[in-house]
Amino acid sequence: MMRLKCASAMPLVLGALISGGAASVQAADLEFYFPVGVNAPAVATIEELTNKWAAQNPQHTVKAVYAGNYEETTTKALTAAQAGDPPQVAVLLSIDLFTLVEEDVILPISDIATTAEDQAWMDGFYPAFMSDSRFEGKTYSIPFQRSTPVLYFNKDAFRAAGLDPETPPKTWDEMIEMGKKLVVKDDNGNVTQWGTRIPTLGLGGAWLFGGLVVSKGDVLSTETGTEARFDTPATTAALEFLVQLSDEGVMQPGGISWGDTPKAFLEGQTASMWTSTGNLAFINENAEFDWGVGFLPGGDGPGAPLGGGNFYIFKETTDEEREAALDFIKFMTAPENAARWSIATGYVAPRPDTWETPEMKAYSEKLPQALVALDQLPYAYREFATFQRAKVTQYLVDAIESVVTGGSTAAEALAKAQEGADSVLSDYK
Amino acid sequence: MSNSGASIEVKNLRKSWGAVEVLSDVNFGIEPGGFLTLLGPSGCGKSTLLRLICGLDEVSGGQILINGADVAGKPAAERNLGMVFQNYALFPHMTIEENISYGLRIRKVPKAEKKKSVDRVAELMALGNLLDRKPGQLSGGQQQRVALARVLVSGRPLVLMDEPLSNLDAKLRVEIRSEIRSLNKKLGITIVYVTHDQSEALSMSDRVVLMNAGVVAQVGTPKELYEHPANTFSATFIGTPPTNILDSLEVAFPADLKIAGGLKLSECLFGIRPESLAFPAEDLDFKVRARVQSIEYEGKVFLIHMRTDAGTAIVVSYSGGSVPDEGEEITVGWNRDATHVFSRSDGKATTLVY
Amino acid sequence: MNKRLPLGLGFVLLVMPCSLLVAFTHYPAVRALINSLWNNASSRRPSKFVGIENYEALIADEKLMQVLTNSGLYALGTIPLAIFLSISMALLVNSKLPATGLMRLSFFMPTMLPLVAVANIWLFFYAPGIGLASQIMNFFGLPTINFLGSTETSLASMMVVAVWKEAGLFMIFYLAALQAVPENLKDAARLEGAGPVRVFIDVVFPLLRPTTIFVAVNALINAFRLVDHIIVMTKGGPDNSSALLLYYIYEVTFRQRDFAYGATLTVLMVAILGVLAAFQFWVLDRKTHYQ
Repeated sequence: MMRLKCASAMPLVLGALISGGAASVQAADLEFYFPVGVNAPAVATIEELTNKWAAQNPQHTVKAVYAGNYEETTTKALTAAQAGDPPQVAVLLSIDLFTLVEEDVILPISDIATTAEDQAWMDGFYPAFMSDSRFEGKTYSIPFQRSTPVLYFNKDAFRAAGLDPETPPKTWDEMIEMGKKLVVKDDNGNVTQWGTRIPTLGLGGAWLFGGLVVSKGDVLSTETGTEARFDTPATTAALEFLVQLSDEGVMQPGGISWGDTPKAFLEGQTASMWTSTGNLAFINENAEFDWGVGFLPGGDGPGAPLGGGNFYIFKETTDEEREAALDFIKFMTAPENAARWSIATGYVAPRPDTWETPEMKAYSEKLPQALVALDQLPYAYREFATFQRAKVTQYLVDAIESVVTGGSTAAEALAKAQEGADSVLSDYK
Repeated sequence: MSNSGASIEVKNLRKSWGAVEVLSDVNFGIEPGGFLTLLGPSGCGKSTLLRLICGLDEVSGGQILINGADVAGKPAAERNLGMVFQNYALFPHMTIEENISYGLRIRKVPKAEKKKSVDRVAELMALGNLLDRKPGQLSGGQQQRVALARVLVSGRPLVLMDEPLSNLDAKLRVEIRSEIRSLNKKLGITIVYVTHDQSEALSMSDRVVLMNAGVVAQVGTPKELYEHPANTFSATFIGTPPTNILDSLEVAFPADLKIAGGLKLSECLFGIRPESLAFPAEDLDFKVRARVQSIEYEGKVFLIHMRTDAGTAIVVSYSGGSVPDEGEEITVGWNRDATHVFSRSDGKATTLVY
Repeated sequence: MNKRLPLGLGFVLLVMPCSLLVAFTHYPAVRALINSLWNNASSRRPSKFVGIENYEALIADEKLMQVLTNSGLYALGTIPLAIFLSISMALLVNSKLPATGLMRLSFFMPTMLPLVAVANIWLFFYAPGIGLASQIMNFFGLPTINFLGSTETSLASMMVVAVWKEAGLFMIFYLAALQAVPENLKDAARLEGAGPVRVFIDVVFPLLRPTTIFVAVNALINAFRLVDHIIVMTKGGPDNSSALLLYYIYEVTFRQRDFAYGATLTVLMVAILGVLAAFQFWVLDRKTHYQ
């Protein structure tokens, strides 16, 4: 590894000597881990952008490593870091912050982005997205592929049910009321089209659940990373709402998987669904019907979780690598490139200036659905994150799954989850 | 155990696998209580024939009459016969008792009756103290007796045996051979027995069906087969060492010799058993010159392997005093009444006329 | 042949396998045992010796109880199912039906696929409403079953995937064993009046016993060893209804990064497998072969 680095740096050094040593920019070789979590040609776009950066910065090199889904990428990056050979830069879940801090492998970006210019750059991101990159007063990560769930609905199905295709449901009550009208059954009484589909299984289910809770005016976790608010009136109401959806026949009973949901929507198995904006491009390409996007219907008002990945810089890096990494991140979040990424995937561009680019304007004109997530942003709140996130989140996942599959009542399950979370987090208080 | 055997008759039986005919026009029969042997070299169709009789394979044509009733279309289990397989086919995972009583169990014979039958054949076959063992713990001879017991316990009037002695050593073979023969006589069951060993066939059978390449070469009593071979195959297959076959052209024979049925002498083969050849040959009717190749000492006799001037190998079974030397050329001869005559063209037997 | 190896060469030859065994089998096992006696340290939590605390947590772990129950049910379900299916397939391809070559190939195909690929195929098969299973059920007017999304069906669905994947391989073993059953034993039974079913039950199946034991042992090992399809299809859910022991270890160790408790669970699994191995040797030692 070291030898390779030396060898590739050699011509540059020679070049610098020949030109009289005037060049002050130091060369760095970056390794960049990234995950893919959406149905989109993400790998090709990432490679296209990294190649562009490398072309503009011939003194540096960058190797983009596709490392699987979010979870796998975090595991790989942590394993590499523990082996003493971490990537210099990686896109990891924004909520992995506490884990990465606890493992002491990342560097606060605010420690290296110290100029006034850097400060202005960091201030240029939507505050909602920056909210989960801070810990103990420092900024650790930079928003990149951010998403938030929205309601996708089949306008043709709304028309067929005699509903106005331009006014999707806005509240839980409306969801049930309209959902009942959207259900279609065959001659045997079996449902061929459900009213809606909210994934309830696994981490995807837990993510969306965060939105339900926000809309009831509460949050699942706070910035401290040591508090899980699983057993509250808001969580109970949210869980009971999910049960009510299937009890009233609007949603398929039992657990609903994240992965099948876009397919079920495209196949007309459901008239609406809750899923990430990251699926916009996929739905746009594959839907054979008229479809729209709306805010997530809420309990007491709109509410949604935020999600997705941020850029992190790893601690075990040289000054040159840190500088190059920061430059790389700035490049990737620059308006033109962020627009390219956003259009290719459906992720919400994390800076207002991106939305001002001609490409983005043309895109949002052609696909106005893309703007809904942006409008929903003020009502969105950070995704559940604490220390020992995976372990604590699992308590929430178990609670949701046991209730939607009829294993226990909301009150019971949430109390148990709270107890488990508290015992894990007591170490950190 | 019934004491009366069944008669069996096979008429115009044919069997083909696809286009290949492996048995054609087979006819023979045996009376109740008889011992019939299907004899022939390997691949002659005798085992196929046995499988047709017991019903494990389907006939392509012809009839199989057991006690006068055609069973050709019936499943094996309904033919009321038993079979002893070449490797005994004992069920290795069952005890000897379970092996013997398997058929009774299938036919749901009451327990008490089953026990009585098993005990009876166990006693008959001297298996009493082995009933709890597994076949793997028994010697070959014991396994053979179990296989017999399994067939006898059901009291079937007809028992088929497929080379049952081929896996035993020579001494045991002779022992079991006589045991089978005495069972046949004592119980009165009919036995159809397959073997490639002609001495086995001659010593045990009431009747032998000699087969060659899917056709019956000769049917008869052992004595008929030995003394009146119907063709050269029969002559050479029966008896050890085999019958010598000499072309009439290389033999000096009496001038008054004539062949029945108008066959010319020049179209004949002569068959002579080794024990009928003798020397010196001055007084004998037929003579041939031959050179001694090798001499085997057999105890009672010498087997002198010779080659005629024309190159035909012959064997003389000689019990005289002075043995010729290897390489010596002598004249051997035989008498008229020891001569079998066959047509050179089709190998069929004919007779001499005086 | 009796020439002795030079001492040095003998030593070198011994060192190779021994060091591999130590590095990849013994050391990790001992390491797991040691780790299970310490807490789960991180840069913010100093490591400390906790004695049997992790084992106390093990006993109190309700989820573990469910996982062990699941694993037991899974093993008990997949073993007879795999045996039944592989024998049936072997009998089918061993018969005189036409196109047995094609059948053999298609039955064996799942074995050649990686388990992750198999899981993806079945993920689509089970998808409620859109999957093949749903479409077949709809065709017969039956309601859609949420195979992976309900606690009643998820574990059974995982069993079906595992059996589908492994039965093809077991079929090959049964096929070889079937062809080794002497034809005249079946003939002997047939002559006594046994029908095809009786011949199979009385003669063929008992003679397949060594293979059956082999297959059962392998199916048992697979039941504890293979969890790829769980990771791909259900992640142990819903509500842990399809979580198996190895999957739980994976989740605790790599997703929750609780290496100490993961090590404790690993020690438990090694102990269980040790007991199973001892039991297998005991069974295999008993007479299972006939000549």
